[in-house]
Amino acid sequence: MLVASVGNVLVWAVWIVAAFACLGSGVAVVSFSNPFYSALALIGNLGSLAVLYLLLSSEFVAAAQVLVYAGAVMVMFLFVIAYVGPRTESPWAGGPSWQAVGAVLAAAALLVEIIVVIGLKAGGRLAHSHHVSGSFGSPSYVGRLFLSDHLLAFEITSIVLLVAAIGGVILGAHSRQAAGEVPPL
Amino acid sequence: MTVAAYGAWICLLSPLAAAGLITLAGGRLSRRGSGYLASLACFVAFGGALTTFISLLGRSGSQRTAVSTAWTWISGGSYRSGFEVMIDPLSVFMMLVVAGVGALIVAYSIGYMDGDDEERRYFAYMSLFVFSMLLLVQGGNLLLLLAGWGMVGLSSYLLIGFWHDRPSAIAAAKKAFVMNAIGDATMALAFFLLIKKAGSLDFGILGGEYSSTVANLVALGLLGGAVAKSAQLPLQTWLPDAMEGPTPVSALIHAATMVTAGVYLIVRTHAIFEQAPKVADLAAGLGAGTLLLAGLIALVQVDIKRVIAYSTMSQIGYMFLGVGLGAYANGMFHLMTHAFFKALLFMAAGIVIHALAAEQDIRKMGGLRRLMPRTYLAFLIGSLALVGIFPFAGFFSKDSILAAAMDHGAYGYILWVAGLAGTFLTGLYTFRLLFLVFWGEPSPFVREHFHALKPDVPGVSLAAPVAVLAVLSVIGGWIQWAPLWHPVETWLQTVAEPTVSPTSWQEAVSSILALLLGLGGISLAFLYYGARRLAVPRFAFPQRVLEHKFYFDELYDALFYRPAVWSAKTLHRWIEGPLISDSARELGDDARDLGGLVSHLQTGLLRTYALAIASSVAVLAIVFVAVK
Amino acid sequence: MMGPGTAWYLSVAGFLFAVGSLGVLLRRNPLIVLLSLEIMLNGANLALITFARHLDNGDGQIFALAVMAVAASEVVVGLGLIVALNRKRVPLDVDRLSSLRG
Repeated sequence: MLVASVGNVLVWAVWIVAAFACLGSGVAVVSFSNPFYSALALIGNLGSLAVLYLLLSSEFVAAAQVLVYAGAVMVMFLFVIAYVGPRTESPWAGGPSWQAVGAVLAAAALLVEIIVVIGLKAGGRLAHSHHVSGSFGSPSYVGRLFLSDHLLAFEITSIVLLVAAIGGVILGAHSRQAAGEVPPL
Repeated sequence: MTVAAYGAWICLLSPLAAAGLITLAGGRLSRRGSGYLASLACFVAFGGALTTFISLLGRSGSQRTAVSTAWTWISGGSYRSGFEVMIDPLSVFMMLVVAGVGALIVAYSIGYMDGDDEERRYFAYMSLFVFSMLLLVQGGNLLLLLAGWGMVGLSSYLLIGFWHDRPSAIAAAKKAFVMNAIGDATMALAFFLLIKKAGSLDFGILGGEYSSTVANLVALGLLGGAVAKSAQLPLQTWLPDAMEGPTPVSALIHAATMVTAGVYLIVRTHAIFEQAPKVADLAAGLGAGTLLLAGLIALVQVDIKRVIAYSTMSQIGYMFLGVGLGAYANGMFHLMTHAFFKALLFMAAGIVIHALAAEQDIRKMGGLRRLMPRTYLAFLIGSLALVGIFPFAGFFSKDSILAAAMDHGAYGYILWVAGLAGTFLTGLYTFRLLFLVFWGEPSPFVREHFHALKPDVPGVSLAAPVAVLAVLSVIGGWIQWAPLWHPVETWLQTVAEPTVSPTSWQEAVSSILALLLGLGGISLAFLYYGARRLAVPRFAFPQRVLEHKFYFDELYDALFYRPAVWSAKTLHRWIEGPLISDSARELGDDARDLGGLVSHLQTGLLRTYALAIASSVAVLAIVFVAVK
Repeated sequence: MMGPGTAWYLSVAGFLFAVGSLGVLLRRNPLIVLLSLEIMLNGANLALITFARHLDNGDGQIFALAVMAVAASEVVVGLGLIVALNRKRVPLDVDRLSSLRG
């Protein structure tokens, strides 16, 4: 009982830290003027999300999140941001335009709706979660699912990755003409 | 298929094949080559007609009717029409005339149209016309006759307006077509009535019994079509204008064949006319009226082709007179001889026009007798045949029509007098033309512009058909001299039994009187124009009336054209403009404005579109939540 | 399940999604827009994993992995476009990239 309650408190504490880190870094990504800082904030976001996944017994996904997202994708982001150079842009300058007002309203509406759904509508069904086995988020579990029930998704995902890789190569290739031949938009 | 049927189909389809080939070959065929092809096709058609004729000769009278069907063309409900060809004495008679004279005229055109830029189009149209006319006379039912009827109207339009850079030619073509269309409409109405009453348009129904109202209406409709096609009163105004076309066209279409289609129609449907005697009398009366009217107008014409055109109008009046009275064989016989000498006159006139560098005003001509002796001879033969002097062709055919008029009671005698007066007028205007053009001293114009025919291909092609027709104008009438021997009447008897039979005494009186009056007209013309003994009398008022062609054109202009134009303009201004065009335009403007408003949504900015998506998701989420 | 219940995790996911959409709609630098897009995708991923845990169904994890792969591909292409734009000296501002204006 005490172990359970201590465990519970521990989980709650970790959860609170991770959740706030997640939310804070999310707001930071949107708010920083310097894209470099935004990217760093996103890395923090991804890390805290990985912690949340661990709390949800999805170990493999958490590992994949750190390795793929934070490790590969964000590194790519940082490379490009470094290449493009410093472009700062303040999102809140110039007073609230109708675009800004509309955006805030839309985002707020989404948030409110989600809360309402979670709280009022689906509250009963969200109360009791199932008990999961120890191997719920293990690589073997996920791997078996990928290769049996969701084989098609697996294959298609790999094709998508291939296409993206080819696209990336083409887009990034140097064109053979001289620079500056296309007039700016 | 029997030999006769083969001949008939070859006759019908050969000119169509030529028209098609000339059209498809286009520039690959030389200009003169198209002329040879068209002439060859017409001669082949004549051969086919001749074959059918000889084959029919070998049969006895009642065996001479046959229908050869190619396929069923229309079949709807209880109505059925086949694409069929009628082989009987009447159709063979017309086939021979149309194909024979047609072949000669198309051959003549090789020389006449030599050098014209659009010769191939001309020969394609001429072949199309010959096919259409053959379809008309050979059609095995009234529907095909109507099809041929319409197509000859079309070919006439195309050929009158052949020199399409002349506004007068285009206007004349339109006039001819519109007036023919009036006739087509009345004929169609008559056919509708026939379908309703008899259920079919085969020739067999013509012998059925109809109530007098129906018979009168149908006959009136048919008469309307005949009057329009044959340029009789009151639809005669298009024929003189049609002289805008090339001379061979005038010879073929507006002398020998198309304008005689009305006469053929009446003979073919004579059974209906016999059930509607008042309409038949009307036909005869219109013929007599036209005969006199045209003869009078011809006295003051100064264009060589227009004189001959009015003469055509007048002679067809004779034919209408004949068939209206029931003398079908005589009418058809006159049709045949008229085709010979009228085509001859037109073609000789064509040679004169060619020799004088396209001049057609007879006041500028004169003294061509010594310069073109053979043409003069041909013209003389044609003129004598036209006036009806023994032993030329017109004598035998015209006089029997006049005799038939004597067998029709008092009304017949009125027509008889009109016919005799017409003979006098014919002599007068025909020889006025001959003397003015050929006699006297060569005018200054002639001395300056005359150039003779050369003996090359165009020259031969111009001269040979004229020679053939001259011979036919002499001997063509010898095929019937009622009442002594009448093979033509016997030939056509199975198809159209004449309802009048004048006695030999009446025939003799008519012949002698007509001959005397014709000679009288010639003498008067000689006195005025030939030897110039007497000055031509000038009466101002009659002269003016005749020159204005009895003001028919002005009358029709006021009665039909002006009201039509006025109503078109009014409708355009008050209804079409504000209601239709403007509303259509406003609709377009409104649509464009609406599009302009909507295009404000297309800012081109990514963020706007993203905002739209986000807002829509928010709204949809509310909807889903609320519905659930 | 120990710790917070499913509803708490879902609220976090919803908040992440809202913040991400705010960033997509408000920022003009395309790089930041892509980053915000990543946040939205991660919010969705969190919701998926949460439900997988709640219903003891591994499909959610599979779906989340697929989303991760697609997000990676999309980032590759998006960054390639930005690099190309930069090479052509086009200003990196989504408001200026409006040649499809109707």
